Formats: sequence, C-alpha cells, structure tokens
Amino acid sequence: MRFSTILRGIDRQPPQRQQFLLDLAYLAVLPPLLLMLKAPMLLFLGMMLLLLILRKRATALTQLFVALAGAAAIFLSLYGAFNFAGLSRLKLFVELMAYLLLLAVSLQRLTRRINIYLVVSPALLLALSLFFFDSVAMLAYVVVEIFVLLWLILIYRMRADALTGLRMAGMLFALSLPWVVLLFLFFPRISFEHASYGFRGDEIRRTGHDGSMRMDGGALLVPSDRIVMEVGFQNAIPNDAKLYFRGSVLYLDRKDHWEPLPPWVKRRVAPEQNAQKGMYETAGDLTAYKVSLYPTYKKWLYLLDLPYEAPTGATIDADFETTLDKPVEEPQHYDAGSALTYRYGKNTEPTILAIARDYNASANPQTLQAAQKIEAAYPDPGKRLAALYAFFRDDNLTYTLRPDPLDLNRSTDSFLFDKRKGYCVHFAGSFVNMARMAGLPARVVTGYKADRTNSVNNYLAVKERDAHAWAEVYLTNHWQRVETTATAAHLDEASAALLRPGQTLEDNSERLTRLNLYLLYVKYQAETWILQYSHFRQMQLLDKVKKNPEFAAKFAAALLGLILLSVALALYLRRPRCTDKTLCLLRPVLKKLQKAGYVRQEGETLHRFFARYLDAYPQSTLAEIDRRFHRLRYADREPETQALKEAIRAFMHKKGTKIGPSD
Amino acid sequence: MNSLRTFWSIRKRVRQRATRFSLLVVVLLFGLFLEAYMHNFNLVYITLFFVFAAAFAAGPLGVRNLGYLEAEFAGCDRLFARREGACRYQVHNPTALSAWGVELHSALGDTPLPELPPHVRTRAVLPLTPSKRGPLDAGPCTLQSLFPLATVRFVLPIAEGCPLIVYPEPRGEPLRSYLMRQRAPFGDEMDFDGLARYSGAESASRIHWPSVAKGEAAVKTFEHENTDDTLRFEFHRCGNDDEARLSQLTLWVTECEPLRQPFSIVMPHKTLHYPQENIDAILDYLARY
Repeated sequence: MRFSTILRGIDRQPPQRQQFLLDLAYLAVLPPLLLMLKAPMLLFLGMMLLLLILRKRATALTQLFVALAGAAAIFLSLYGAFNFAGLSRLKLFVELMAYLLLLAVSLQRLTRRINIYLVVSPALLLALSLFFFDSVAMLAYVVVEIFVLLWLILIYRMRADALTGLRMAGMLFALSLPWVVLLFLFFPRISFEHASYGFRGDEIRRTGHDGSMRMDGGALLVPSDRIVMEVGFQNAIPNDAKLYFRGSVLYLDRKDHWEPLPPWVKRRVAPEQNAQKGMYETAGDLTAYKVSLYPTYKKWLYLLDLPYEAPTGATIDADFETTLDKPVEEPQHYDAGSALTYRYGKNTEPTILAIARDYNASANPQTLQAAQKIEAAYPDPGKRLAALYAFFRDDNLTYTLRPDPLDLNRSTDSFLFDKRKGYCVHFAGSFVNMARMAGLPARVVTGYKADRTNSVNNYLAVKERDAHAWAEVYLTNHWQRVETTATAAHLDEASAALLRPGQTLEDNSERLTRLNLYLLYVKYQAETWILQYSHFRQMQLLDKVKKNPEFAAKFAAALLGLILLSVALALYLRRPRCTDKTLCLLRPVLKKLQKAGYVRQEGETLHRFFARYLDAYPQSTLAEIDRRFHRLRYADREPETQALKEAIRAFMHKKGTKIGPSD
Repeated sequence: MNSLRTFWSIRKRVRQRATRFSLLVVVLLFGLFLEAYMHNFNLVYITLFFVFAAAFAAGPLGVRNLGYLEAEFAGCDRLFARREGACRYQVHNPTALSAWGVELHSALGDTPLPELPPHVRTRAVLPLTPSKRGPLDAGPCTLQSLFPLATVRFVLPIAEGCPLIVYPEPRGEPLRSYLMRQRAPFGDEMDFDGLARYSGAESASRIHWPSVAKGEAAVKTFEHENTDDTLRFEFHRCGNDDEARLSQLTLWVTECEPLRQPFSIVMPHKTLHYPQENIDAILDYLARY
C-alpha cells in the first residue's frame, strides 16, 4: 500500500492503516534503543526487518526460527555480563527487559495481527529508553517522540489525513505544555540520588589535561574545539587574567614528562572540601559558579584559581588541587566557589620546598650556567624572578603548536638554546627548571586557561584547546603564578591560524562560530535548568519567589505568558482548514456580517445572503464583493483575485460606522 | 465567560466513561513515576508530565468535539429478522469546527461516521440485523467518540429508547412457485366446458392455442370460473410450525406488494385483507403474532 494512500485518511483499509501507523510509532521510538543495543541484537532486528520487507508469512517454523534467533541474540548480547550478580544490577535488568520486549514485539509483528500488547509496546520502549540516556539531545528527541506518538494516535482516532492530525497534535501539545511546565517546576522532587549509569550519549572521552605533562613533541598537538566543561557564573565572568582553572600541580621532572609529588610525601594539611585557613593568607572577591564537566576519566575537577569551596564529594588539597576519589566517568555537574583575589599561605612544608628546588645539574648545563649568572647578579628573589622572565622574553622564543622535537636528555637546554620553539608545556617546564637552578623553588601547574571569546552572558565554554600549563614560583614565602607562555616573542603563522577561534578549513565564518556558541549556551541552560533541576533547585526557586516580590511577579507573568501563548497557538491550530482559497478570502467578510447580526442560513447561497444584507443597505460596498466573487467563481475570464481582495479590503477598512449603509 | 458557560452546559450533556486505555495510562504514569522517583531523571519526569498533561487536556477537546452535535431519528427501513436493515439519523454539526471520530451507537450495532464538517447536516445510517421478530427496543441511541486519545469514551445520548418492530424473516416457497401449484386462474381442468369463438376482448391466457394452430381463433370456457383474483393464504397450510408459517406469509406479502396483488390471509382469529389493510399493518400483525 502506498504511503500517500494510507495517509489520505478515511478511504483506507483499517487494519493495514493501523499496522502502518503502528510501524511508524515503532520507527519513532526505536532509534535511541538502537544506540544501546549490542551487535547480536542489532543483527536480529535487521533480520526481522528483512523478513517483514519480504512479507514472510508467520508459519510455525518461521516463528520458531525467529524465537530461537532472538534468544540467541539476547544471550550473545548479554554474554559475560549474564550472571546472578549481574542480574541484580538494574541496568542489566532493564537491558534484558528491552531485549525481551523487542523479541516479543518482533514475533507478534510477524503474525500481522494487532493486539493490545503491540499497541502498548511503543510506550514501554520509550519508557525503557529513558533509562539509558540523559542528555539535551535525548530531551529534544523525547519531546519530538511524544509529539509524533500523539500525532499517530490522533491520525488513527480521527480517521483523518496526516495534516489534519498534525494540526490537532499541535493543538493538544500546546494545551499540554503549560501543565508540563507547571508540574515540572512544582512537582515535589523527593527521590533517591541520580542514577549512576546511562548517559551513553555523553560517554565521549575528553582530553586536554591528563594530570601529567609530556615534553616530547612526538605527538602532534591539534587544538580541538571539543567542550571539556561548561561554566555558568552566578555573576559576570571574571576577566581573562583570572580564568585559570587549576588542575594538577607537578613537581618532578622526569625528562620526557613532569609528575606530581610521590604518594609517600605527607602534607601538613589534609584534603578537605573547603580550602583551610593557613593554605591562603587572603581570599577575596569570591565568585560562585556551576560547572558541567564531561567525562575525563581522571580524578581532577577544575576550579578557578584559587579554589575555595569544592563540590560535595571532592576535596581541595594543600596545593589547591581539587580531586574526587574516583575518576570522572560520567558528566559531573557541580557548584563551586573560588577566590579571585588571593595570596597563598606561608606554611609550605620544607620537604615540598626541597622538592621544588630539585634539578638535575648535569642535564642542562647551558641553562644552569645562565641561571647561576642571574642568581649571582640578582640576590633579591623578586628581581631574580624578573630577570628570569626577562631572559625568556629576550631569548627570541617562538610559540608554535608544531615544534621540532626536543632533545629530551637536555630538554631545557634544547628548548632555550637550540630549537627555541614550543608551546605552553615547554615554556612552563623550562621556566621551572631554570628558576630552580637560580635558587627559586618552582612548580608546574596544569589545567585550563579559558578564553572569554567562548562566552555568552555568564556562560563560558572551556575547550580542549584551552588546556594550559604555567609555572608557580615560591617568592617571599608565597607561591606566585608566572604566565610563562607570555614570554614568547613570536607566534608562528600556522599556530596563529590554528589558535584563531573556529578557524578551520571547513568553517571560517565568525558568525557560525558565534552561532555555535549560542547553541552551546542554550544546551548548557537546558542542562542546568531542565536535566539538572532538583529538589534543591526547586527549593531555591520557591524561596526566591517567596522572598523577592519582583522576581515573583516576573515569574508569575512568565507563567501567565506561557499559558496565553499556548492557548493562542491552540486556537490558531483549531481554525478550520481552508481548502477553497476564494471562499477563504471571504472569511473576514462573513465574520463582520455575523457580528452585525447577519448569519448565513443553512442552504442559503452566498449571493442570496449578500442580497439579504444589500436589501437593507443598498449602498454597501458588499455589492462589489458579491459581483467580483461570483465573476471570479463562475465567469469564464481571467481570475480577478486581486480586485476581489481590494473590494474586501475596502469593505473591511471602511471608516465611519462599523457596519451599515456605508459599512 | 459565555464560552465557559456554554462549555459547562455541553459538558453536562456529554457522559464520559473510562476505557481500558485509561487504565494503561494510569499504569504507564505509575511506572514512569517509579522510574523518575528512583533515579531522579528529569527526562522521565518530563515524559510523565507530558503523558499526564496530554490525557488531561484531551478531556475538554473530546467534550468539545461531541458536545455540540445534534442528532434526530429519521426512521428505519422495514426490519426483518436475521436480515440486514438500517435506521437513519440526521446528524447536525452547528459549530464552526469539524467533529472527528464520531460513531453512531445503539445496542444493536454501531457505525463510524466520517468527519462532520462545520454547519453541515449529515445522514447517518445505522445498520441493524435483528435476530428475532416482534417489538424491539434498540436501547438508548448515542453518538460516541474516542477522540482524541481513546482514554475516555465520550457519549452523547440522542434517543433514550427507540421502539422498533421487526417483521418475521421472509423465507419459504416463492409466490410464483406457490401459484403454479394452486388452481389455474380461471378454473380447474375438470370444469372445462368447451371452446368458444374468440371475440377479441378475452385475455390472452384464455386463448386455446391448439385451435389457433389449426387456423381457428377460439377461447376456453369453464363450467365454474373464478371471478375473484384475490389470493387466499391460509395460515395453517403455510408450514409446519408457526415461525415457518409466519416467515412464509411474510415472504408472500412482500412479494405481493410490488405486484399490487390483492390477497387475504386467514389467520386463526382474524383474516387480513390487502389492499383493504396496509401492508405494514399486516406485517405488524404477523410480527406480533
């Protein structure tokens, strides 16, 4: 049966039409499940599709074959995970349910007999698919899915064509929307914790910072626009100089890479959720923000320097590293606080300072010589640091994302005296080594240096390309950040092109980049306010409504606006469909006449109806409409639609009395 | 305000009955709630709220769809037992919006109606196949609709009761065959009197064709002739039992009617005459016997 024939509506064969609509419903609900199904089950579904396309009859043998193939597919799909301990895990149980349901649906569909189970199963598959995904894309898909299912139900129930069903579905959807919003906002959210599985759509490994810092140039560094995390600031976004998101702190130079402190080093301050007094001397300009961090498979959470308050479950250690016990394997959405103006505390342990002074004297003789010269020339540590900085700045270093490989046995010498090309890690690593040689304790800090160009309002997107390394030098008993990359005298053209935001071969349009950023912003807002809406946030909202009358008024106005908008949309969609263009032109005229008390009687022709009015008001311009309409309708001439439109316009906009002798 | 008042008045006209789909919706809502409750998935909450809101918003739409319709009984065909007949209703949609998915429903059957466009009167036919003869009450006749989501059946009563009469099933020996078995129209063979000269006015069936073949135009004459052409059906001779007799008589009555053939039926307590009595009255008597 052809698609158009089926959708045309009433002149159909009901069972075939019902089956077709049901197939469409399955097509609407299956895509998310297809993403989570294992290969054997996908093969089984492919086979079923083939059988249905070939219109294979459901003989006992075929059904037995399908049942066995389905059972085998389920077994193979769950092979390995299928044990008693595994069954106790809800995810596996739900997966098994989905498989069994798909098998049952396949067997029933093969018989071409529609029963209640086949009708209900799309809703069950939809409910099951919700277990596996929790992303903005799925949110959008679910809304579309619900709309499509409503549409199909209405096409069937109305015995109408697709377009009429679509209008009615739109109307029902519009009427439902205010209820959904009100329930979403106010329905009590007393529940267990957020499930710890699913999110398949977001299981993309984000790289950029991995807790150590490699110095070898073997791997080509390509700046990626992949979002690592999204930050929503409570107030305005801080300026660029303060957008350092702290990751790991590295002390040990292992030639080809830098490492953090060894585990045996005991710190005086134990990690806590909040930065403890003594770790900092001053901490002002506190800022609060929400972060959505995508899976990194590392334990670090990235907080703005200086981390002040870590999210629940995370701790801030003595070096202000914020970590979780377990690696981040799912998107993390957390609230955090940082101090934007700060001064580190004085209580760094001597052991740590000793490690931060350590260097291999034989590895980089040229650097050592230069550092010793500077140390001798500048006994004051502050001036010495300035001299070191000046040395880097005057060394004619080039920032490039594609540096020549360094000699890793003498990486600092190789960078500062031979190649003179590198990116942030080479600058930071070399600076720290040279500072240590000059008698200043120093360490490398890695993390992200965000770019305000990737922001909209108070939303900031941090990308892989923002991964960064910088140095911290212990000066006058405090650690102090040094932006070592800023000493680069040149930026090579290739790197400049790569670093330009959104500048790729495929996309060099600033407008597109901006649009992309706005989309990210919308996605972030949807995640924050819809997917992450919780009991806590609900209470926050209600509290704000109670305490802030202005906000309460705005909130009520917004809800009222939504209700009015939905009703207006529903009324718009409710209008009868116009099938005759000429008659539709007359709609406003008939409405105006009706308001004046002239209602067209049943069976009354338009001409008679108009004549009835014209008997009472012979001078009315309705006569012109009558004449033009009937000429357009019945005379064998060129269409005069424009003339009719003008006559109608004249009738409708006639000034003076609303209706009457002169209309 | 007026719209609300009107809506409330039609709301009272329309009865609402939950269907099995409403039970399914309740189960689905409960399942989604558990899923959402246990895992705090806002996606599930949103789905839950959409299902609830759509089911909730569907109510007024369903009432509005059916509540304004008007319908009146427009008569039935002659209804015979075990034969398909039809009753007709005039359905009027006086509003500016179409009505969808409406069914005409009675205890004896239902029929789906196509879209009822605005300001249009539609004649709806309700097919019936009564099983027994005699008086029949088709029960309350209603317009029903599952629009929009089938969770509620909306019912608009249009007639509380519809007294109908079902005639016996017309079945048995056809009239023609019966007449062949009966006496000749003018007289029996034994009453044959002779031949007379054809005057040109006699009926063609009186012509004696063998004489015509010999070149002489003659007609047959009988000693005793039937002067009355009214057929006479006797109840007791029509079949083995009452139902068979009534069916046979019904068949002959319906066959005589288009021929305008006068007949009389001798019933145990009454003799029915056509055309003195109306065919419907005769059938009515047979139906109620």
